[in-house]
Amino acid sequence: MAALDPSEKKRLIERLSSIREIVFGMQDGILTTAGVLAGLSGAVAVHRQVILAALASTAAGALSMGAGAYLGTRAQTEVLTSELERTRQETAAEPYVLQEGLLHQLEREGLSREASYRVVQLLSSAPQALLSTAEVKMYGLSRQALGSAAADGVTMGGAFLTGALVPLLPFILIPSAGPGDYLGLIAAMATTALALFAVGYFQGWLAQRGRRWPSGLRFLAIAMGAAVAGYLIGLAIAPLGGAAPGQ
Amino acid sequence: MLKPGDTAPFFDLPCAVGGRAGRLRLSQIDTEMVVLLFYPHDFSFICPTEVVGFHNAREAFAAEHTSIVAASVDDAATHLRWARELGGISYPLLADEGGALARAYGVFDEREGLAMRATFILDSKRTIVYCVASPVNVGRSVSETLRVACALRSGRMCPADWEPGGQFGPAGHKD
Repeated sequence: MAALDPSEKKRLIERLSSIREIVFGMQDGILTTAGVLAGLSGAVAVHRQVILAALASTAAGALSMGAGAYLGTRAQTEVLTSELERTRQETAAEPYVLQEGLLHQLEREGLSREASYRVVQLLSSAPQALLSTAEVKMYGLSRQALGSAAADGVTMGGAFLTGALVPLLPFILIPSAGPGDYLGLIAAMATTALALFAVGYFQGWLAQRGRRWPSGLRFLAIAMGAAVAGYLIGLAIAPLGGAAPGQ
Repeated sequence: MLKPGDTAPFFDLPCAVGGRAGRLRLSQIDTEMVVLLFYPHDFSFICPTEVVGFHNAREAFAAEHTSIVAASVDDAATHLRWARELGGISYPLLADEGGALARAYGVFDEREGLAMRATFILDSKRTIVYCVASPVNVGRSVSETLRVACALRSGRMCPADWEPGGQFGPAGHKD
């Protein structure tokens, strides 16, 4: 396999860094919507009303998740930018401290002291190179970690919306024959399980794991485990609302 | 850390001096006083500012009949390469591999496995007459060490901030 050009590789890594938003958003969209469908199907007899409520929940969820991702990334970017700026000022004021720190770190990573010294000395001839290397090596700070708040928000919201469609579409497409007809709900739950497995499988494929099936099964088990735990907690606290479980 | 009044521990160690590897014993040094510098490592960024600083002040120390000797945990070959890189160091760099000498003076950092940044001045009887340790990120003052060496060699009472050629004795004291 031909090696990727470093700039292409960098772009690929930046794109792949959105995997968190995609996996989180899709998993949340799938599970939240499946939960709404399951819960309302037991309580509301009119199929159309269940669909409307699920659509409203999906819209609210996508907006909320998108806004959350936007605000989270923005806060992270502001804090990191401030730290990077502080590091830059410290470097300008006390370059020796940064040089010594980087030298120790390179030694810790396996270079001999003399080789570390020469690397740092070379980097010191270009202050920007010294600074960016020190940011990553000494402080674990990276400019790549400064994501785009807007992109993260859109990705997260879009992923939630896409995930929500997984249980929603079969539920809409399979009309209900009346109370007691759970065919649409069963189809929704089946596609939910399949989609959760697929997200895990896809994640395993992205990480180039040899065993993608375990990755899919693990994702399915964790997500469904969380859903079952939520359902059981709901059952446990239902009496506090004055209603028997299932009512 | 040893203190003024303590007998200076003896050493007999490999060293790099004048561009060659050799060996040096404390008893071979015949100057009136000895400045013994411990520093963390060769090939670092603060240590050379001190080592070169003392090298540049060698004539002023020699005028005070004071020898300079430095020690770190690096071996003699590393000292040689580093001294060459610094443009040559006139005084011996002792190879205190394992840090036995630094331990004897109480300035070995066991956690880091290297000597602290510490300075000792030994008198003609090789008794410690001055000692100071600095944080690892703060280099020593060459001029302050020279000032103290001058003050010690004068054998007189030197007030605060005394400088060579200045008045001896406490303020207002008629010497």
